[in-house]
Amino acid sequence: MNEFERSSGDSMEGGDVLWDDALPVEDVRQLFVTLAKAFRAYQLYDDNNPVRRRFLEGLRTELQRLWTEMDRIVVTVDEDHFYLDGREVYRSESRADSLAFLFFKDGVREITFLPGVEGDELERFLGVLQRARKLVPEGDDLLTVLWEEDLRFFEYQYVDLMAEGVTLPEPGAGNSSAELQAVLEAEDEADEADEAESGEADEAPPPQTVKQDDFNPTLYALDPREMETLRSEVRKELARDTRSDVLSALFDRLEEHHDRSRQTEILRILSTLLPNFLSRGAIVPATRVLEELRTLERRDGVLDERGLTEVGAMLDAVSARDTLDELIKALYDGTIKATPTQLAGFLTYLRGAALPALLHASETVEHKELRSVLRAAVQGIARKNRAAVLTLLEEDDPVVAAGTARLVGDMQITEAGPALAGLLAHDAASVRLAAVEAAISLKASTVAGALEHTLDDPDRDVRVAAAKALGTLKYRPAARALGGIAKGKDIRGADIGEKVAVFEAYGAVAGDEGVRLLDGLLNGKSLFGKREPTEVRAAAALGLGRIGTADAKESLRKALDDDDAVVRSNANRAFRRED
Amino acid sequence: MAHESGLNLQEEGRRLLASLYGTLNALRLYPVENETVQQAISDLHRLVERIVEAEGGAEVRVVGDFFFLNETRLRLDLSNFSTFGSFARALHDHGIGAVEILPGIERSEWAPFISMLLRGPGGDLPFETFRDRFATTPVEHIELRPLSEVDEPKDDAESLTAAKRTYAQSVKVAKDALGDMRLGKAVNVRKVKRAVQGIVDQVLSNESSMVTMTTLRDFDEYTFTHSVNVCIFSVIIGQRIGLDRLQLYELGLGALFHDVGKQRIDLDIINKPTGLTEEEWRELMEHPTEGLLILFQMQGFADVPYRQMLMAYEHHMKTDLSGYPSTKRPREPTLFSRIVSVADAFDAGTSVRSYQYEPWPPDAVLQEMRDNPKRGFDTLLVKVLITATGVYPVGTLVILDTHELAVVSQVNPDLELLHRPKVRVISDPVGLPLSEPVTLDLSDDDPATGAPVRQIIKTTDPQKYGIRVSDYLLA
Repeated sequence: MNEFERSSGDSMEGGDVLWDDALPVEDVRQLFVTLAKAFRAYQLYDDNNPVRRRFLEGLRTELQRLWTEMDRIVVTVDEDHFYLDGREVYRSESRADSLAFLFFKDGVREITFLPGVEGDELERFLGVLQRARKLVPEGDDLLTVLWEEDLRFFEYQYVDLMAEGVTLPEPGAGNSSAELQAVLEAEDEADEADEAESGEADEAPPPQTVKQDDFNPTLYALDPREMETLRSEVRKELARDTRSDVLSALFDRLEEHHDRSRQTEILRILSTLLPNFLSRGAIVPATRVLEELRTLERRDGVLDERGLTEVGAMLDAVSARDTLDELIKALYDGTIKATPTQLAGFLTYLRGAALPALLHASETVEHKELRSVLRAAVQGIARKNRAAVLTLLEEDDPVVAAGTARLVGDMQITEAGPALAGLLAHDAASVRLAAVEAAISLKASTVAGALEHTLDDPDRDVRVAAAKALGTLKYRPAARALGGIAKGKDIRGADIGEKVAVFEAYGAVAGDEGVRLLDGLLNGKSLFGKREPTEVRAAAALGLGRIGTADAKESLRKALDDDDAVVRSNANRAFRRED
Repeated sequence: MAHESGLNLQEEGRRLLASLYGTLNALRLYPVENETVQQAISDLHRLVERIVEAEGGAEVRVVGDFFFLNETRLRLDLSNFSTFGSFARALHDHGIGAVEILPGIERSEWAPFISMLLRGPGGDLPFETFRDRFATTPVEHIELRPLSEVDEPKDDAESLTAAKRTYAQSVKVAKDALGDMRLGKAVNVRKVKRAVQGIVDQVLSNESSMVTMTTLRDFDEYTFTHSVNVCIFSVIIGQRIGLDRLQLYELGLGALFHDVGKQRIDLDIINKPTGLTEEEWRELMEHPTEGLLILFQMQGFADVPYRQMLMAYEHHMKTDLSGYPSTKRPREPTLFSRIVSVADAFDAGTSVRSYQYEPWPPDAVLQEMRDNPKRGFDTLLVKVLITATGVYPVGTLVILDTHELAVVSQVNPDLELLHRPKVRVISDPVGLPLSEPVTLDLSDDDPATGAPVRQIIKTTDPQKYGIRVSDYLLA
């Protein structure tokens, strides 16, 4: 038989329903309509929202009005209704929105509002309902939420399942005279024995004759300094990160190799904790798990083969693309609020498999600081996984392929030359461009040959980069191709940037042999006495500047006083080798 | 607790005591005209007016070590212990048990009343002396009652029944939960939470009855009663160091589960009536680690119960990190773990257990925990426990200087008199049981000689002689 337990400790009274016509049933009915609306507003709107405030005020007003007629509002609860003295005052249309069911499902069978609830406690009460709505079956229930909130003007009765089958302790009849006498006699004898014996066993109780010490309050009373110590201990305790203590315990025990089944259990726990930490934004303990696991993985004899496999799988799982996509998402939406140092610490423990996702993120995130942390992490992982980097050059994802190409250049992975050359024919311009830029960094001749074919790339940026690359590499075989472009019609339609790139590259690779062509473009006239367009002449001047020989300077000297200010200015710059 | 007035009497009461104490101190230091004194009186008067208006009157009562404002017991913690203690002593010195403030009180009535509290108490009849002097002052709206007239606000029997119910239900819940765990079944954590909530509520409102319940030795198997007792003592210590209700709940939950790891230890070891072999000890010493791991499996917590896990894991660690389990990484047992450690040792030390030595009398256990550094307890927390249990905890079997046998039934709330509790005398000097046990307050002195009416000369362990102290305490 269940008992009903009132929050105040009284038991619920049964009995016939007595209808009291003096009760303001209609007003109470209206109260619950308003309560339902206020609760909806509470759920939908922020604290200071005027709609929410209006509904709360309405609810307050109704409660205040009722206190002129009732000294408390007691309603019984069933699955879908509230009843005031047996009369329905609330009916829910659906279980999902039902206030009655919210109470009923956790065992509450009667609720009481007391005068005062309309004050500060009203929002706390709505907060309880809000928390109750969000409770998951495996977590707390409404009764715990109500207990925690400790409302003073709201009482409730619930089905007390704990009362089932409980017998209250009752006193016995006491001891017999013989038993009591035995105590006194035995203790008298013990006193005599104590006097005779000086030594005693370590764990035997000492003789308990009262001593003066017992009456010295300083031995048991706390002085103000001790009180303050305890206060500071409380503060320390409440601020403590207990996760770290639990992790220390788990790893202390995980190191004990005498119990393999316990090791398995702990590893299973850790594999659950890791995502749990991350989902709560706790990157520091998550990092600790990775750090400890990696250390254990490297220590001989701690884990057996199975354990090592599990640890490896865990570390791999963290480096998997899905995990990292989630991580990046969490960093973006603020679930994880990590400092760059904390994030970098976590990323340190990722493996080669993490590179594609990290690279992708490091190429695409807009947040500058995050991007820089991700790039640093990528480089850190790449340094330890050069082979993995090479395979990434074959990634389908153009963002990853381009990022890898740049990484190859930054890290001077010279053996990546052939693969980079292959990327120059990639479908995505961004990848071709990255490959060209990497070629510049690598100064790899194996790529330079391929670069020559990129001079007529359909993408302007790639063409410009290729020209610059060839110029930087001073790849002489490209002089012919560049010269052809310089003479051609297409370059005349290109923008000034491209023109400059081509002419400078031509100057750089052709050397003195290029003076003739460039001088003609800078200073020559056509049959009709017409000079080349200003931009071509200016670019040719810069090309001559790249050659820098006496002949090139002689050509430039002629243009130092040119009528065209743009030409004159660039010729001057080139003449003085102002790059 | 709800009040028709809408006032939060807990908070207002604490404020009132702080204000009374502040005025008392101001008047101790300065003449009545001083600005500080006047300000203190004005603040006090405003506060009292608000309470009296809302409640129709205000009575401050001091019962044991608790203050009550009307029917609300004011919570004692580290933030107010000094205020409460000093003001209680001021009243106690004059034999005053209650101060009733009536509607219509005027500001001018405070200075005479408080000033009189500062005077030395009057001889053998302090209350009567105070009352006679007080009658000559113009104070009309403050009435006083002597200590002897002030009783516990709640009926003792009612308190005891509530404590019995909470205790019995909690033991049942612990039994079900631990049993389910041993069988590998899912534990009903909600019931466990409800039990701990009940214990917290009872300790906060009815501490001495709950302490009495811990003296029940054969109510159920040791494992279950011990879990509940450790929970009760932990919450008592927690309350005294200022933890709030929710923090006490967290503490209590961990304390109830502190030995949960034993559910993975062979029952033959747990129930072994004789001493354990070295190998059996080794297995038993794994229970803190097993407790930590078991709590990871337990469903029903809103969050991973890290703090509770640590209480299970660290409760046998000493403050110098000896004890068990051994530690390799840096560690400092949490405050909650140290509380549970103290509560566990006290209850275990006073109980007859399987594989255990002879139990010690409660006072000897406390003394050992306090004085023997090798035991490795947090001595401040042991002291806190002693302030709650007294030097002779409830349930201690004592021999009085009259050679009568008695059982300690109530702690003396005065910190100076912790060694002079209330006792139930159960036998005469030759061991004949009294037909009705007599309650004696050992802090009472014989008016004729000024010497204590009775004194404890020796304590002993009731279990050693089969004395069921609860027979005398629950009656």
